[in-house]
Amino acid sequence: MSPSPLDRRRFLKRFGAAGAAGAALAGARTLGDGKPQIAIPPVPRGGAVLAAAESHTHEGHGGHGGLGPVGTVDHARNGFSPHEILTDFDGGEVSRDIKGQTVREYDIVVTTKDIEIAPGLFFPAWTYNGRVPGPTIRATEGDRIRINFTNTTPHPHTMHFHGFHSAGMDGIPGAGEARAGETFIYDFIAEPFGTHLYHCHSLPLRQHIHRGLYGAFIVDPKKGRPEANEMVMVMNAFDTNFDGGNEVYAINSIAFAYMVEPIQIRAGELQRAHVINLTEFDPINSIHLHANFFHLYRTGTSLVPDEFTDTISMAQAERHMIEFTYDHPGMFMFHAHQTEFTQLGWMSFFEVK
Amino acid sequence: MTTVAETSSAGVPQWLRWLLPLALVGVMAGVLTFLDPIGWLREAPPIESVAIERTVLEEGHVRLSVRNDGPDPVTIAQVLVDDTYWNFTATDSQLDRLEASTIDIDYPWDEGLPLTIGLVTETGVVIEHEIEAAVVTPQPDARILGIYALLGIYIGVIPIAVGLLWWPALRRAGDRWIAFFLAFTIGLLAFLLVDTVAEGLELSAATGSALDGLGLFAVGAALAVIALSAISERLPKGAGKAGLAFAYLVAAGIGLHNLGEGLAVGTALAVGELGLGTSLVLGFALHNTTEGLAIVAPFGSNAKRPAIRHFIALGAIAGVPTIAGAWMGGFAYNPAVGAVAFGVAAGAIAQVVWQIATSRPGMLSKGLGPLGFVAGLLTMYATGLLVAA
Repeated sequence: MSPSPLDRRRFLKRFGAAGAAGAALAGARTLGDGKPQIAIPPVPRGGAVLAAAESHTHEGHGGHGGLGPVGTVDHARNGFSPHEILTDFDGGEVSRDIKGQTVREYDIVVTTKDIEIAPGLFFPAWTYNGRVPGPTIRATEGDRIRINFTNTTPHPHTMHFHGFHSAGMDGIPGAGEARAGETFIYDFIAEPFGTHLYHCHSLPLRQHIHRGLYGAFIVDPKKGRPEANEMVMVMNAFDTNFDGGNEVYAINSIAFAYMVEPIQIRAGELQRAHVINLTEFDPINSIHLHANFFHLYRTGTSLVPDEFTDTISMAQAERHMIEFTYDHPGMFMFHAHQTEFTQLGWMSFFEVK
Repeated sequence: MTTVAETSSAGVPQWLRWLLPLALVGVMAGVLTFLDPIGWLREAPPIESVAIERTVLEEGHVRLSVRNDGPDPVTIAQVLVDDTYWNFTATDSQLDRLEASTIDIDYPWDEGLPLTIGLVTETGVVIEHEIEAAVVTPQPDARILGIYALLGIYIGVIPIAVGLLWWPALRRAGDRWIAFFLAFTIGLLAFLLVDTVAEGLELSAATGSALDGLGLFAVGAALAVIALSAISERLPKGAGKAGLAFAYLVAAGIGLHNLGEGLAVGTALAVGELGLGTSLVLGFALHNTTEGLAIVAPFGSNAKRPAIRHFIALGAIAGVPTIAGAWMGGFAYNPAVGAVAFGVAAGAIAQVVWQIATSRPGMLSKGLGPLGFVAGLLTMYATGLLVAA
């Protein structure tokens, strides 16, 4: 067969590339002969990509070369927005018990709800208080937590907290499980301090976790921590066709939410993110920050960082506190470093101003 | 009869008698549609099914023609390309039953590699369409049409014309051998019948449930049988002419089969599933040469040589449809058309087999008949191995 136009085009491409390389080489030689002829400008500092990225956020196409969803998610219909969940810390109804100890009381109800996890794509979720992830429960080490837990669904459910508590408060079948229409009161002391989580532990466990019954449980040290902009990032995923593998990945449930609408942060301000992995089906998930490194506090259980890195992997229920600062304005990507997950929704941006 | 009816229910016009059952069916349809008395039976989740009827690949672009072939409406929420959510446009993303839409995706696909498109519905069902090896879909310009026509000539027209050249030898072979070759023809056609039915059923499955591919296949087959039966009834029966008429029937059956064969080759080429090498073309050529022999066998021995124009017409009827099939397969393909085409081919071949087999008593049981039948089957099987692409 004679060469098709495609073959010719390929040939031209290759030839063209070789020609360009040759030209570059020749240019380098003439430059290398004498002293440096051109002044090298200073290292660029941020800002440069902002314009391009900004133009993208208002259109659907362009900046990400076609990656991403078509349309927008109706957060109002969902009843929660991923940007609100990010900084929505719930200290509960605060009072003191007869011993004078701080009591934080919560009402948590399990409901079923179709949530829009990508534009036009609905997942039949099981939720704590109508949102996935559930409310971020936040207390100081030593506070007493009381949760009025009500189950309005036909399946039994629990709240199993990662932390110290008595056997009867474990939130497993036989210890704190609320059947359809029942209420159970969880009562325990918030300890140890750190970045923790809670989730349903009813059977079949895989189903109960992957349908959306989990949330963040943040326990602050008594001494407190330095002032920072704090965020909760629950890495999760959804098996929309129930075949045992995920079709959508995200942080805080909505695919590409922070790519479509980047998280706004300030240059020079300390950022503290509580990153919790609740991905079902995949053994690990990860987070990687662009153009920056973070201090990693494993499980958030110490006051001094364990590591200085830009990528960390976690199995399910592993969670860490990370701290970082962006010094210059610009658009900075962060995402799972399982590229498959990024293409299925776990792709985000910080817009530093 | 008429008088009895008129006396028993006088005053009812005849047209009303015809319309009454239809009117009742209309009422029933209305009740089912608007009052929905059995709606509670269908509280299960919707059954979402979308058939991808045609895929057109251009450089950096993918276009899908899709149709909702399930019982329930389908909303396409997102599109996955190789497991990546990708921007797309759709002429319509909410598809009612049997409604069609065109989906356009700008995607830098890579030539020769597999490409998977996933349509993610509102409820999270992923309807996957796999392209085994992505190649630019040929556009029907004069050059490409010419190449496909040439291909049809190579694998259809020339081999059959060559096969017709067996006639002078066959003519002097004597009655025993004519019986052998007629049986050989039946064996050959029987093999093609099985082959055509198998391919047709496979295509039927690909048309999706709502269009009922099997039904299309069956309708095609029935039409072919009826048409060829009607034609053969009108064929000249006189001595000397019967042989020629038979030859035309065989040529028509083989031609319809070759339409399907061309369709299959054209489609496979267009979607990059066929590496068309010399050996494959050679295989088709050998396979189809024996079809020429099958066409001239009904002439019988010691017969007068039919006019040359008959040979040309026979060759054209049997071979030229390959070209039409290749064009259809390459540029206007959709599985529903394919199912009908293969049905027509299967019906035609079955009819021709029946005609020849019943033309002489003991055709397949006496003399060299059984041997000829088996030889026909085996020849087709053996040459068919050469085209196993």
